[in-house]
Amino acid sequence: MPTGIFLTFDPWINWGWLSSHVPLFEDALQQHITLTAIAILGGLVLSLPLGVAAHRWRAFRSPVLAVSEIFYTIPSLALFALLIPYTGLTVVTAEIGLIGYSLLILVRNVMVGLEAVPPDVIDAANGMGYRPLARLLRIELPLALPAIIAGIRIATVTTIGLVTVTALIGLGGLGQLILEGFIENFHTPLVVATVLSIALALVADLSLAGLQRVVVPWARNT
Amino acid sequence: MIRNITSRWLVAILAAFLVVATACGGSTTPGTSKGTLTVGGFNFPESSILANIYGQALAHDGYTINYKLLLGPRPIIAAAIKAGSIDMYPGYAASELEYYNNSAGEATSDPAATTATLNTHLQPLGLVALTPAAAVDANAFAVPQATATEYSLTKLSDITPAIASQLVFGAGPECPTYKFCLPGLASVYGLHFKAVKTLDTDGPLTRAAFKNGSIQIGLVFTTDADLKGLGLVVLQDDKHMTAADNVVPVVRQAAASTEVTTVLNSIDGKLTTADLISMVDQVANQHLDAAAVATTWLQQHNYSS
Repeated sequence: MPTGIFLTFDPWINWGWLSSHVPLFEDALQQHITLTAIAILGGLVLSLPLGVAAHRWRAFRSPVLAVSEIFYTIPSLALFALLIPYTGLTVVTAEIGLIGYSLLILVRNVMVGLEAVPPDVIDAANGMGYRPLARLLRIELPLALPAIIAGIRIATVTTIGLVTVTALIGLGGLGQLILEGFIENFHTPLVVATVLSIALALVADLSLAGLQRVVVPWARNT
Repeated sequence: MIRNITSRWLVAILAAFLVVATACGGSTTPGTSKGTLTVGGFNFPESSILANIYGQALAHDGYTINYKLLLGPRPIIAAAIKAGSIDMYPGYAASELEYYNNSAGEATSDPAATTATLNTHLQPLGLVALTPAAAVDANAFAVPQATATEYSLTKLSDITPAIASQLVFGAGPECPTYKFCLPGLASVYGLHFKAVKTLDTDGPLTRAAFKNGSIQIGLVFTTDADLKGLGLVVLQDDKHMTAADNVVPVVRQAAASTEVTTVLNSIDGKLTTADLISMVDQVANQHLDAAAVATTWLQQHNYSS
């Protein structure tokens, strides 16, 4: 009896439904943030050494970039289907995908940042007696920070969008609600979760921009 | 100065990492539970309802239940149960059989025989299909009311080859190779359509294609309560090509104890197609929660979970 009517007059936001389902959105948002944070931190932990290696040893460069590029082209559905026999429907499966997808941006920015360090600064550091590791940690990486943070910003915003694909394996954060709204042709979860996801991306990007101002005050113009 | 700021920044990142890592830690609470079972479900409302019915009945019986719902297409759910990430999921006898036998075309319109054949394929995988319910979510083929009127169609055999050559057909990506979809329409009814569009299996893409007129015939589920509301007419399968897609729980053998089997079989003994239609309507169209709809059904059938 009510069927077609509900489809036709489904409002963009059904406030009554929304008010009784707030915890659903809180949990989804929390999961979304957690999945994104692990992906970016894990991506950084991997891409810092990879980017440094690619910068220092030319032979590493093409393979490192090629692997991160090829990984980016693997469809998430195929990747998850391949991983499930080993890692199941877990955060690990999701993060292998998300961290892998973040590498393309992060590794490249670490490398570009290191390459932009002026040669005379390196000469000066050498002249002051810095050994390679100390020079990397105290001179090169701090100078590469603007580029690295710019990479983190891009990677964070794309990952916030990408997290939704992990709904395929029962995670997905806000993606779970977007999927539910889509398959039920129900606007409220679809619209609210999409708006939350966009808001999250904006807040994350602005916070990272703020962090950049604090950490690298000399690079105000980026 | 720079060193100070950098190290402070690193400490902040490490701290954030630790917080996140602890937040992700396990939170299992062992109690007087008979054991923990994870119930999976497909990414359509009916599957969430069925998963909740099975899960809540088992919870009522003393098991601790985790849910993994809205999982991607069948390859994901099959990989998940093989890997032990889920212990069971609500399957459909013929569709499961044709998935696990790689579309060998062994399914028939007999649910018991189809389930028995399914079990010969599940056995080596450490899985088992229990007793199928009377409830069927069969694939059916629908046309818009206007098309039905134009060609006076009420059953599939009303479509002559000449009519078929004017209709665009839409269904999910598996349809062209699935015995009970396009190959069946060709071999049983002799139908070859003007074009075939790859959409989804009775999902939003198919609905949209019907609405904007880009398809004139498409695959739908018999348990959809909103077909009439959408102005779609299901054509009767008068030559009985449709396979027995009765609801059947697929369970890991390790989880299929006598007690679990008894609970699930008693559910399947009571579940009817009419129940499915009404529950799917409540979730998909009236936007009630699948868990609440499942609870109501269980209460009506003497499980007060």
